[in-house]
Amino acid sequence: MSEKTNVQSAAQASPSILEIRGLQKSFAELYVLKDISLSVDRGNVMSIIGPSGSGKSTLLRCTSFLETADGGDILYDGQYAVNGGVYASKAELNRFRTKFGLVFQNFNLFPHYSVMRNISEAPILHGQNKEEVSERAVQLLKKMGLEGKENAYPCQLSGGQQQRVAIARALAMQPEILYFDEPTSALDPELTGEVLKVIRQLADENMTMVIVTHEMAFARAVSEWVIFMDGGVIVEEGEPERLFGEPSQERTRQFLRNYQQ
Amino acid sequence: MSLMTMILKMSEGLGKTCAIFFLTLLFSLPLGMIVALLRMSKNKVVSSVTRFIISVLRGTPLMLQLLAVTYGPYYLFGSNVARNKLIPVVIAFAINYAAYFAEIYRGGIESISVGQYEAAEVLGYSKFQTFMRIILPQVVKRIMPSVTNEVVTLVKDTSMAFTVSYTEMFTIGKQIANSETSFLPFIVAGVFYYVFNAIVDYVMGRIEKKLDYYR
Amino acid sequence: MKKILCLVLALVMITALCACGKPAEKKKFIMGIDPEYPPFSYLGEDGKYSGFDVEVCQAACDKLGWEMEIFSVNWDEKLVQLSSKECDCVWSGMTIRDSMYKEGYVISKPYFYNTQVLMVKADSGYRSAADLAGKVVAVQLGTSGEALLQEDLADLASSFESVMTCDSFLKCFTELAGNAADAVFVDLPVASAYAAEHEGYLIINEELGAEQYGIAFRPGDTELCASIEGAVAELVKDGTYAKIAEKYPDIIDNLIFLNS
Repeated sequence: MSEKTNVQSAAQASPSILEIRGLQKSFAELYVLKDISLSVDRGNVMSIIGPSGSGKSTLLRCTSFLETADGGDILYDGQYAVNGGVYASKAELNRFRTKFGLVFQNFNLFPHYSVMRNISEAPILHGQNKEEVSERAVQLLKKMGLEGKENAYPCQLSGGQQQRVAIARALAMQPEILYFDEPTSALDPELTGEVLKVIRQLADENMTMVIVTHEMAFARAVSEWVIFMDGGVIVEEGEPERLFGEPSQERTRQFLRNYQQ
Repeated sequence: MSLMTMILKMSEGLGKTCAIFFLTLLFSLPLGMIVALLRMSKNKVVSSVTRFIISVLRGTPLMLQLLAVTYGPYYLFGSNVARNKLIPVVIAFAINYAAYFAEIYRGGIESISVGQYEAAEVLGYSKFQTFMRIILPQVVKRIMPSVTNEVVTLVKDTSMAFTVSYTEMFTIGKQIANSETSFLPFIVAGVFYYVFNAIVDYVMGRIEKKLDYYR
Repeated sequence: MKKILCLVLALVMITALCACGKPAEKKKFIMGIDPEYPPFSYLGEDGKYSGFDVEVCQAACDKLGWEMEIFSVNWDEKLVQLSSKECDCVWSGMTIRDSMYKEGYVISKPYFYNTQVLMVKADSGYRSAADLAGKVVAVQLGTSGEALLQEDLADLASSFESVMTCDSFLKCFTELAGNAADAVFVDLPVASAYAAEHEGYLIINEELGAEQYGIAFRPGDTELCASIEGAVAELVKDGTYAKIAEKYPDIIDNLIFLNS
């Protein structure tokens, strides 16, 4: 009980749902993240752009605890999940996990589960009421434009539909922040639109999101803040109009130029 | 001896054949999973010891293992040979088949993409929940054809129990063949095994079909 | 005088010649065999009859100074053929049956002996087949012991808890040694050999399924039988018998004259 009060007071104290300070990560000899710092405020959308291998996906995987950072801090609601490269206890990390959701590039739906079970099993395992969860799942599917697909299996759906199920699955956990790791990169061009539309809709509803993407126009339209990463560092960041319109760094200009071609 | 009495006599041994078959599956299927998990252990000592044991079990004849389990303790320590031969027979079969199943399981588990584990982890599934709910069901579907192969082989391997004086169906067939100087019991035995395997094939086929609802 | 001497000499010589002529008409002895019963009697690769019985008979005839002839009998009709004087004996791995005595045939002393015995652990306290009621008895598949337990001795077999069928004698003995079986039902020579090499075993010999081989002669031919028996006894004495037997390792252990 007292813990819960703590969380709430911390949340009030810090407007940032996620804060990263001096994050370091290397694979063997290779540094993929060098001294990354950023923070995401509630209700904001942050896009991270950059060339392949710039470390943007690794950053997201570190904040999701799928990769272990070597150094730096990760804070959720002002509370340390990682403090100077030292991780909180397993139980603590599990509590932090309930704060975020992650949508993968390859959807990673569970192929042996129906759409309904894909969405509802995790919340039910967390002790939530079965009927409530089912009700929520139906609503989420409706929102994703997948009405009536409850009993379908992932293999019966198109890539775009599968990714929307994955988004619904992440949302069913009622996360405070949602991460997208290149959500449209595995999709055929004609299918990206339906997924982006759903994400935009979430942005309109003030869902807090961090989106790693190659869709520049989309990032520009949907974000409050854009980060350009290259070589494991944040090269430049700013409001989308400024970053896309008048990038201050030559490296950013070069990258954006390549994208326009 | 008429064909009918021959069939009746051999059917008596069929119960023992079935006992070996079902008990071996009952123990080797779960044991194989434990062995597979030990084999994939991050602890180098555990995984290499398990790997060595698997290679011995797969690299030596089952008949030798049957003899070792049944008579080994007697020759090594002078302890009694089991009166109920079903016990050493099932132990030897279960251990041997567990080694084969373990390698099948391992192949199946390693074929599941990392993304499945990651998705489950982010959604807050525990390690155990992830394995039981997400990984295992998919593994089962993938390994069904290989498992069917092993099960069919097991049906035929039951005849090896004779080597430790366990009177299953084939042994009775041999006895009749000897006293009657007739080849007929072997034909009867062949038909028994074929029908047994036809049933196994049918059942496994049904299970595979049931798992066919997803790709 | 000289003439008389010549006459006497001539007479002596004639007498001598006559005396010599007599052995020239040797006694003929016709041996009746089943030519397809190795190793006792069979047609050898060189086209001549051979086998243990044939060799012993030849040696005996040599000893007696008889001429031996071989007659191939039809096994089902062997006694009929013997009676109708087609041969003088039947000597071919023949199992002695009570019916033969009843019908008056003269049967030699048995020379080949086989019986199934129960081998138990000496400290087990089992001393008879009856003691093994409700116990486990091991037997090797394909042996006469196994066949006996299935047929002639089925009653005895059903008194056991179970008959354990092994695929080798070694396994039978291992089951016994490891207390999984209480007895092994086995050929006497096999049991004797094992008991000689391993301590702590006891052979219960109740002549179960005992069978003996002998030579059959026509009713009344007691003298002929005695001659042959005598000749064979001499062969045993001078070692010829053993020398012949050595060529037949499969049966040597069950030859009564060598193992008594």
